[in-house]
Amino acid sequence: MKLHMRNLTKSYHSHPVLNVGEATLGEHGLEGLIGPNGAGKSTLMGLLTRRIAPTTGTVVLEDGEMNHALNPIRSHQVAQLGLVKTNQRIQGFPSLTIRDNLRFAATSHAQETYRGVMDDAQIDEEIEAEIDSYLETFTFAEPDGFANSGGEKKLLDILRCFIMKPRMLLMDEPTAGLPDDVTKKVMDLVKSKVKSGDMTVIIVEHDLELIWKYCSYVHFLSEGEMLFHGTPKDVKKNRVVAEKYMGV
Amino acid sequence: MAYLIFSLSLLLIYIGLAQMLHVQFGLLGIPNFGVVGFWGLGMYAVGIMQVQLDMSFVDAMVLNALLLAAVSYGLGHLILRLERQAILCATIAFSAIVALLAVTEKWMTMGVVGLGTIRQPFRIFGIEEILFFIFLLILIIGIQFYILKLHKSRLGRLMIATRDNEELAASLGKDTFRVKLIAFTLTSAIMGILGGLSAPLNQFLTPNMIVPSITFAVWISLVLGGKEHALGSMLGVFVTFGLFDILIETYAPVSPEFAVLVPNVKLFLYGALLVGVLVFRPSGLLDQRTPSDAVVGTLGRGVLKGAVAIHQGVTKGVATVQGKIEHRKKGGGT
Amino acid sequence: MWLIRDSIFIGLLEASPLILAAMGFTLIYYLNGFINFAYGESITFGAYFAVLFNVGLGLNFYFAILPAALLAGALSVATYLFIFKPALNRGVQPSEMIILSVGLSFMLRYGLVLFVGAENTYLAEPPVAFFNFAGMGATNLQLIALILVIIFALNLYWLIYKTGYGEVIRGLANNEELAQVSGINPHKVSVRVWFIAGVAGGLSGIFSGVFALANPQMGWNLILITIMVSIVAGVGSVRGALFASIVAGILTSFITLISKPLYAEVVLLMAFILILWRRGGRIA
Repeated sequence: MKLHMRNLTKSYHSHPVLNVGEATLGEHGLEGLIGPNGAGKSTLMGLLTRRIAPTTGTVVLEDGEMNHALNPIRSHQVAQLGLVKTNQRIQGFPSLTIRDNLRFAATSHAQETYRGVMDDAQIDEEIEAEIDSYLETFTFAEPDGFANSGGEKKLLDILRCFIMKPRMLLMDEPTAGLPDDVTKKVMDLVKSKVKSGDMTVIIVEHDLELIWKYCSYVHFLSEGEMLFHGTPKDVKKNRVVAEKYMGV
Repeated sequence: MAYLIFSLSLLLIYIGLAQMLHVQFGLLGIPNFGVVGFWGLGMYAVGIMQVQLDMSFVDAMVLNALLLAAVSYGLGHLILRLERQAILCATIAFSAIVALLAVTEKWMTMGVVGLGTIRQPFRIFGIEEILFFIFLLILIIGIQFYILKLHKSRLGRLMIATRDNEELAASLGKDTFRVKLIAFTLTSAIMGILGGLSAPLNQFLTPNMIVPSITFAVWISLVLGGKEHALGSMLGVFVTFGLFDILIETYAPVSPEFAVLVPNVKLFLYGALLVGVLVFRPSGLLDQRTPSDAVVGTLGRGVLKGAVAIHQGVTKGVATVQGKIEHRKKGGGT
Repeated sequence: MWLIRDSIFIGLLEASPLILAAMGFTLIYYLNGFINFAYGESITFGAYFAVLFNVGLGLNFYFAILPAALLAGALSVATYLFIFKPALNRGVQPSEMIILSVGLSFMLRYGLVLFVGAENTYLAEPPVAFFNFAGMGATNLQLIALILVIIFALNLYWLIYKTGYGEVIRGLANNEELAQVSGINPHKVSVRVWFIAGVAGGLSGIFSGVFALANPQMGWNLILITIMVSIVAGVGSVRGALFASIVAGILTSFITLISKPLYAEVVLLMAFILILWRRGGRIA
C-alpha cells in the first residue's frame, strides 16, 4: 500500500503547521520519517489516518489497482481499508484484559451484532491461536490479566495493530518506553512482515540508530515541510538534514 | 394485595429503566439524564392513543415503540458526538421539554386535568393485574438474560471499549458513533416501551408524573448497585425502590402524620446515598469484576431469606395486634 | 414596536436573578470544570435564609438581604470543602462530578423540605410601590434587584477582568502546580470563588423570592435555565454569562408576550439542544 499526498496542509487558527506539498509514502517497504521536535510528524500521522482533518489538499491510499481518497471518510473506515497507526502516547482500554484487547482488535465489525449476542460461541479458535502465539513471543507479567506498566501498555498498543493484519502500518515513536529487548523483538517482527510482503511500514522515530538499521528509505520533515527523501546513506550525508536536525 | 401487585409491577418498570441506563451509561458511557423524558413520552403516547384515538393496547404499543425509536434516533444524531457533560445537559433539556409539552398540549394530553382512564391490556376480570405483573416479570427477566449475555459478547466488548477510549476504538476500525447511536435508539425506545406499559398501571396520567426525581431514582439505583455490573441495576432497584417504596410504605408502622414525610425522607436519603457512594465507593456495591453467577446465587438466597423473614415478621405482627385487639375487647367487655 | 420595548424592559427586570445565578455558576465551572447542579441550592437556601431573618427574626427586608446572602455563600463553601474537594482529590471524572452534584442537590433540597415543608413560603415584603417608567410599571423591589444586579455584575466584571484575579483563577484551573509556584494559595482562591458564587446564588434566590415566593424547588427550576444560558454563552467567560443571561431574559419575555410562558421554555430548551449540536461538542 502507498499513500499519496497532494498539496496537503494543516493550519490551526490560520497558523500553518504543516505543508507537505506532493509526497508519497510506502514505496520502499520499511520507511522512516525523521525530523526535529515540532516538525509536524505527529500532525502528519493524524492527517493520514483521518484523526485530524486537513485544511487543504488530499490523501489517496493506493492499494494495488484500487485508489481510495481518504478525505471523505472517517477514521474507522481508514482502518477498515487496512491503514492502521500505533500511538505515541500511551492509549488503552483499561477495562479490558490483555486477551480481550487483542480479541477486540482482531474481531471483524460484522460479528459485533445484536443477534450475535445470543450465540454461545463468542470465541474464535483462529484468533485465540494467534493471540497465544503473540503472548508466547512477548511476555507480560500477567498474560491473562491486565497490562500494568507503561511498557506493557505500549507493547499492547503495538500488538493490537499487528493482530489486525494491516496492509500499511504507521508507527509513531514505537520504541519510546519499551525495553531494548522488546524493541528488538518488535522490530524483527516488523521486518519479517515487511519482507514477506504482508505490509508496508512507516516509522516515526528519534532513535536514529534504529532508523539506519531497519529502514530502506527515509523522509525528512522540518518546520512542516518535506525537505528531503532518500536512502539512509543519502540522508546521513545530506547537508540540510545535518544543519536542521543533527546539529552539525 | 392489589396495592402490593401494583408496587411490584412498578418495581419491575424501574428495574427495566435501570437496565437500559446500565447499557447507556455503564457500558457505553452515555450519561442520559433524561430517563423520565423517554419514559414519560412513551406513557403519554400510549395513553393518548388509547383514550383519544381509541386504539387497542397492542396497536398503541407498536406505534409507540416506532415513535420512540424515531425520536431517540433523531436526538441521538444531534447529541451523541458531544462530550459527556453536554450530552447530560441535552438529555435533561429533552425531558424538560416532554414534561412541558404534557402541560401545554391540552388538546392531546388534557393538561393538568389528567388523561384517563387507560384500560388494562389483559381483560380477565379479577386477575388482570396479576397477569400484567407476570407479563412484566417475564419481560424483565428476558432483558436481564440478554444483558448477562451481552457482557460476555463481542458487542459488549465493543461497547466497553467505546466507553473506555472512543478515539482508540475508532482507530482500530470500529464505527463507534454507529454503535452509540443504535444502542441509544434501542435502549431509549425500550424506556419508552416501559413508559407505555406504565400507562395501564397508572391508569390516569398527569404531567406531574414526569418529574426529575424519577430520573434521579433510576440513576441512584444504577450507581448504588454498580453501574458497570450486569446485575448492578437490578440490585440497586431492590435496595432503593424495594426498600423504600415497598417494604417501608407497605409494612413499616408509620403514623399518618409522618407518612406524608416518607417520600421526602426517601429522596433526602437517596441524595445522601448517592453522594456517599460516589465519594467512598465509586464502583457501587457490585464492581465490574464481581462474577455474575456468585451474585445471582447470593441475591437469590438473600431475597428468599428476606421474604421468609418478612412473612414471619408480618404474621407475628398481625398476630400480636390481633391479640391486643382481642385483649382490649375482652377488657372492654368486662 | 411596543413588543420589542416591552420585551426588553420586562426581560431586563426578570432576568436579574438569572444574571446573578449565571455569573456565579460560571465562576465555579471556570475554576473546577464541572457542572454543579447543587448550585441551585445556593439559590433556594438564599431565599430561605432571607425568610429566616425577615419572617423568623422579624428583621426589615432590606437588612435581611446581606446576612442571608453571606450565609448562602458559606453554604456554598461548605459544599466545596466537604463534598466536592474530597471528590476532586480522589480523581472523580467530570461526568461523575455532575452526578455527585445532583445527589447533593437532592439531599439538600429534601433535607430543607423536611424542615420547612414543600409549600410556598412568603417573605414579609416592605410596602410595594409602583413606579411608572416610560409607560410601564415596575415595583420598587424589582428596581432594587436590578440595581443590585448591576452593582454585583460590575464588581465581578472588574474583579475578573481588571484586577488580574481572573487570570489567577484561570491559571489555577489549568495548572495547579504552576499556580502554586507563582505564589498563589490555590486553596484560598478556591474558597473565595465558591463564596462569591454562593453569594451571587443567594441574592438570585432572594430576588426570585420577592418576585414570586420561596419554594424548595425554585433553585432546581432556575438551575436548568442557568446552566443552559451559561453553556450557550460559552462557560468560562463571566462576560459571556452576563450577556447571554440578558439575551435569554429578553428572549423569554418576548416569547411569553407573543404566546404562553411554558412555550417560551420549550423554545429555549430546543434552541439549547440545537446550539450544542451546532457547536459540535466542546462546552467551553
